[in-house]
Amino acid sequence: MNHRPFEDWLLDEQPLTPEQTRELQIHLQDCAHCAALDEVNLELRSVKMAAPAAGFAARFQKRLAGQRLHERRNRLVGVLILAAGGAGLLGWSAAPYVIQFLASPAVWIAAAVNFLLTLLLMARAIGELGSILARVLPGFIPPFGWLALASALSGVVLLWVVSIWRFTRFSRGV
Amino acid sequence: MDNEQTWVAQAQRGDDQAFTQLVEAYQKPVYNLCYRMLGEPEAAEDAAQETFLRAFQRLSRYDAKRPFATWLLSIAAHYCIDRLRRRRFSTFSIDEQDDDSPAFEIPDADAPNPERESVRREQQEKIHGLLASLDATDRAAIVMRYWHDASEAEIAESLGLTVSAVKSRLHRARLALGKRWDESPMHPRPQRRPHESPAF
Repeated sequence: MNHRPFEDWLLDEQPLTPEQTRELQIHLQDCAHCAALDEVNLELRSVKMAAPAAGFAARFQKRLAGQRLHERRNRLVGVLILAAGGAGLLGWSAAPYVIQFLASPAVWIAAAVNFLLTLLLMARAIGELGSILARVLPGFIPPFGWLALASALSGVVLLWVVSIWRFTRFSRGV
Repeated sequence: MDNEQTWVAQAQRGDDQAFTQLVEAYQKPVYNLCYRMLGEPEAAEDAAQETFLRAFQRLSRYDAKRPFATWLLSIAAHYCIDRLRRRRFSTFSIDEQDDDSPAFEIPDADAPNPERESVRREQQEKIHGLLASLDATDRAAIVMRYWHDASEAEIAESLGLTVSAVKSRLHRARLALGKRWDESPMHPRPQRRPHESPAF
């Protein structure tokens, strides 16, 4: 049996004229295939909307609270793992010094004084190098170079600020 | 829907009560979509709850120019499609569900007689069976079209498809549903012998 154009009318929900509707009804009496399409269409339209059991919103509130608690717990566990890891790393790197300090305080104090003196000498040397460069460099670097340097520094500072902002920003809700 | 926009704006500012109003307003369409997609009341409840949870989490990204219902149904449809794809190879019986469970269905105010009710139940079970036989995306398109009166453009927006793809999917799905309806043993169609008069 030729289903055209009746099948297309049914499958594409085309708006029909009264004459087309009449032709379709005649065709549906003889054509099981098109009648099935029409019946399915009617059946789908007649099925009612299902509704959830009463108290859906209350159950959602409970679920939301549970999710928030779960997220808070996860965050806390994450912080604890980070803190424990950091403390472990610190302990591992500081262990030789602690052992040394406990074994002989005099040696440790001498080493510390030596270290501080080295730091001071280094800071002084860096300061002198800086003052020399400050006297010499301006003659070598053109104004464009200074501009590029300042832009790069600004970019780094901006990146740093944005990174801090992104990492410290709290997400809303759950 | 002035109320809706107000609730959305308040919820975006972190007002839980406003979001609860949205849950109250949209629980039925979201649940219905999930139920028609998944076929089980428990799974539908879970999916509907998850839909609202996801909506709450993504509320800051909601574009107020879009209808809220379309956005919400889009989340529900995508969630159900993912869920159906995950359990594609597991046993799934959508038509074993009692569609008229009083806890999950709206009571029928018309109160039809038992015989008619029995026929209606059979037909609804059949509809569930038919829907279960469709591809997940086609099923979502059919549910949105028939239960939510969504236009082809709205379905396309919700499912991330083009309008022509939606038209094609609806066409294909209706054809498949019609064939299954015709072949179903629950729907005996009297076969007329060749040259027999319709009067007999």
